[in-house]
Amino acid sequence: MKWNNGNDKQQPSASATGVASRGLRTLGFGFGRDDESREEIERIDFKMVTFSLAGKDYGIDIMKVKEIAKFERFTFVPNARPFVAGVYNLRGEIISIIDLRVMFNLPAEQHSDGTPQDGLILRLEDNLIGVIVDRIDRVVGISSESIQPPHPIFADINIGYISGVVEHEDRLYITLDVDRIFTKESEKARAVDQSRSVMETPPGEPIEEPARVTAPDEQQEFSFISEGLATFDKLYASAINQQWLQQRFEQWRQERSEVQKPIQFADEHDAAAFVRPFFSANSEQLWDRSYSEAVRAVLPHAETMVVNAWNPGCAKGHESYSLAAILSAYYSGKRVKIWAGDNDLLSISTAPNLILAEETVPAHMQEFTVGTANGVTFSAGIKEMILFEYHDIRHESGVPHAHIVVCRDLLSLLEPEVQQQVLTKFYETLVNGGVLIVGDNEQLDDDTRWQPLSDQVQAYCKV
Amino acid sequence: MRVEYINPFVESAYNVLREVLNSDVNRGELFLKSTAMPVLGVAAIVGLAGDVEGRVMFDMTRDTAIKIASAMLEAMDMEPISTLNDMGRATINELANMITGQAVTKLHELGFKFDLTPPAILSGENMEISDAGVEALIVPMEVPQGKIEINVAIRERN
Repeated sequence: MKWNNGNDKQQPSASATGVASRGLRTLGFGFGRDDESREEIERIDFKMVTFSLAGKDYGIDIMKVKEIAKFERFTFVPNARPFVAGVYNLRGEIISIIDLRVMFNLPAEQHSDGTPQDGLILRLEDNLIGVIVDRIDRVVGISSESIQPPHPIFADINIGYISGVVEHEDRLYITLDVDRIFTKESEKARAVDQSRSVMETPPGEPIEEPARVTAPDEQQEFSFISEGLATFDKLYASAINQQWLQQRFEQWRQERSEVQKPIQFADEHDAAAFVRPFFSANSEQLWDRSYSEAVRAVLPHAETMVVNAWNPGCAKGHESYSLAAILSAYYSGKRVKIWAGDNDLLSISTAPNLILAEETVPAHMQEFTVGTANGVTFSAGIKEMILFEYHDIRHESGVPHAHIVVCRDLLSLLEPEVQQQVLTKFYETLVNGGVLIVGDNEQLDDDTRWQPLSDQVQAYCKV
Repeated sequence: MRVEYINPFVESAYNVLREVLNSDVNRGELFLKSTAMPVLGVAAIVGLAGDVEGRVMFDMTRDTAIKIASAMLEAMDMEPISTLNDMGRATINELANMITGQAVTKLHELGFKFDLTPPAILSGENMEISDAGVEALIVPMEVPQGKIEINVAIRERN
């Protein structure tokens, strides 16, 4: 069995440090299955993204990983070191790509040209760097106490690059110290010294910990969860969704302990399960009567003959049509125009001719629909009000000024700095007294700009 | 960019290229861009004005432009070219006109009205294009002679 082999190799290393009891204690954790009570108090405080190189499993601290990426079409740089695969344009930022297999003298899997390669984008102290690996596996949460010191037996990779070895579910992962791997040549000597001192005081250092979970641990678990959501591209934590995240975290902790699973995400499915309740009621469907009435109650008074609304992130258009139905009734006699945009080409392409099953149309919207061969669609009068655009919210928009902005759940899917830029754009686009509606679980706390309007709907008036 | 505008441009580019080059054409993933973009080497630009305002740009390397122009000339039993001369530029102009013209005809049928300007050809090294306040739709097309990027930046007139 794989673990037994690893154990045989590890034991001399642990006792070689001269602290036999530490070695035993560490092993005790590794064999948690034999000792139920110990397993229970094992705390998950270290998460790593795992991947394989030449058939072996490796892990990198998730805090160092900015994102998981597929690299394709990067640019070869002449006369660079052999392990530099090239440079890559990451949404406008040029980063270097390192092939870890070449760097570690491991056989690289052959890729036919043009196939995207699995990789990670790492956040180092002062820059970003991309690394190519054979295959990304998943995110594994472990207790940092179970990490054992590296052993010279791992000759494949220079020992100085390894921060430890850890066993998880019968697999042995080698954890890499990315900061050390990518330090400059001139700093190599110092790195070797450091590695030696790491050997002497391994991360497996036991400290007597109370079994009770303390507040700082919770804080750490919470920040791992936030990082995990960002890594899996689910949601970016910020002031806008902080309150929901904290509530959901408590709820999640309970859910997970009931089914006896770790709090941390093991894979994308866990992250998706965590984030599922975030999405607002009536997403991807027409708004029901109570939500429609709540929106109607916060609509601003418009003196002009033309009323403009902006609906970024409209997906297939259910939201835009629901809004159009409300606005056309509320501002009857005025000209209503809605700019609706989404950067998902497939969804937005279906929006102008959205066909719905008749039973999914709420009673109060039926007067705006007409029948077709395959179902019902909105009347020409409603359709003419909406301009569906293939649009990325990060880019310039053609919306002039708006009385209403409806942007539900989209802000939380953007990086925090983009969230702020987009909010500023909304503020500038809205007329004085204009209304911004965000997702059910989103909040704006800047009361110098946004004044909350309602208990039923997350609506804010531009101050 | 308004959803209804996308397909006419993609379809007419596909049809015209396949017809004039008499070969397979592969369309890449469409995407949006709004920052300054590098121009590959030869760009034919057609302006649009009417219900909308903006321009369509056909961008390719000099080498691809020469190969495409040669293929089009040979199809008409004319001499191929080896450098981008007047004949080559006129041929690329014509290609841009055909694609944009066909797209605009389709849009007219859908009820959108606008006019075209005659194409202009720009060529040179290290050029960039940027459009203030409009995001551009990029339609990459692969033909045996190389890659043509069709760059459509149009917006509604307010």
